[in-house]
Amino acid sequence: MSATTLPSKNNSLGQRFADWAVIVVTLVGLLAGWLIKNSVENRSIPFTNSGISAQIPQGWLMTSAQGNEILHVTDPLSSGFGTTYTIEIMPVASEATVDQVVTQLTLQRGQTLTAYRVLEQQKVTVFGRAAYEIGYVYVESNPNLTHNQIPNIVRGLDYIFLNGDHAIVAAYWVDEKAFDSDLGRFHRFLNSLKF
Amino acid sequence: MPDQVCCVCGDPASSKIGERWFCEKHYQSATRERTHTWRSSILLVVGLVVFVGIVYGLDLLIKPAFTPTELILAGLLLALVPAFIWMAFFYLQDRLEPEPKGYILGVFLLGAILASAVGIPLVDNLFHVSNWIYADTATTILGSILVVGFIQEFLKYAVVRYSIYLSAEFDEATDGVIYATAAGLGYATVLNLQYVIANGGVALGSSVIRMVVVALAQASFAGITGYFLGRAKFEHKPWWWMPIGISLAAVCNGLFNWLRGLLVQRGISLTGASTNPWLGLVLAAIVALISMGLILWLIRRNIHTALAEK
Repeated sequence: MSATTLPSKNNSLGQRFADWAVIVVTLVGLLAGWLIKNSVENRSIPFTNSGISAQIPQGWLMTSAQGNEILHVTDPLSSGFGTTYTIEIMPVASEATVDQVVTQLTLQRGQTLTAYRVLEQQKVTVFGRAAYEIGYVYVESNPNLTHNQIPNIVRGLDYIFLNGDHAIVAAYWVDEKAFDSDLGRFHRFLNSLKF
Repeated sequence: MPDQVCCVCGDPASSKIGERWFCEKHYQSATRERTHTWRSSILLVVGLVVFVGIVYGLDLLIKPAFTPTELILAGLLLALVPAFIWMAFFYLQDRLEPEPKGYILGVFLLGAILASAVGIPLVDNLFHVSNWIYADTATTILGSILVVGFIQEFLKYAVVRYSIYLSAEFDEATDGVIYATAAGLGYATVLNLQYVIANGGVALGSSVIRMVVVALAQASFAGITGYFLGRAKFEHKPWWWMPIGISLAAVCNGLFNWLRGLLVQRGISLTGASTNPWLGLVLAAIVALISMGLILWLIRRNIHTALAEK
């Protein structure tokens, strides 16, 4: 006589092993998916202009730079406001302090961006270089009055590097919902910035 | 005390299929061909296509002018219809040995809850799939399989495996397909509800096609997982059986999403992007008929083999 357990009520060792195998296979699949995601997001192409070089994300749309901008790239796949990186060269007096540059940039942003509000500002060190960080928010709205979409709330980050008779401003504009999730990629862009 | 007991109810066993023992009652149910499952599957596909035709035709003829709130309500109603159609056909056909309505509804709701609480947040908020998956063809295929496919199919598997699977009501291999389909339709319903809410209401004509495509696809791939679950319960299968089943369902899910994207998106011109959602519906209907037909044929073959061995 042998006692037989009920497979329907109890998980046999083989069944438990199979359950764990399903979980492991799923996790391996997701891990592989995560690696592909990172690989796609880390693809970059070199950019050089006016003695400044950087690695910009591959597949992003490079639009015509305006004003002092030398780079203006936008992610075509991001939802809401398209995540944008810009590099701007601001001419400054050789004896100008960083506070004067910050004031000048803040005024400039206030005039060009709707509902511009500075959230925080501080001196920082960016990958070994002294810089000034300004975090802000503004509203991006289609100027066409017949456009029936709700305006986007955009978070921005400016990093100002003083470099002799000019300041280099690297800016990050992103839909406020995607600010944290896209920040790592912008840091990689900043790390690649050389001047 | 008998040497063997039924793997479903624990009563003394008299017959076996593979390495599993059954009492006479459960041997009968395990080897009974449920022809109605074929009919409900085919009726589901036909019923959903007819439903699309009716809504699309009415939208064209009446051209209803809805307020934004009415559009959302109409969209929410449409999102629930595919699941109701399946359940209605299923119960009309399943009179011989009806599955408990509460269990079917429970599995459906569990599928919906897991989609809402785990599946959609993982795909949208953790993996941010829409931000990178369309980078190139290889990424689209791999991302659709490894991320979207595995998340969706694992959750549908988990719903059945950790709820009804150990119950005595799960007493034949076809039950795996039935309960997994219910879980898949629950998942599809939440995907459709999310689509309506995210868009603040939807155009009835084109959105009804999308909703039915999602429902057919989710039900079909859940059916694959359900087939593997059903056989795993009633036959001694090696440890890799279920992982293979989930992987196969995920691959089908991912390939379907990629192919549907190719078919539906006709091209992009200066005047905008043109799409043809009808091709997506044709693809979903073909995939559903083939996958359900194949699964039920395999179950039928297994039953015949078991009977021949006896």
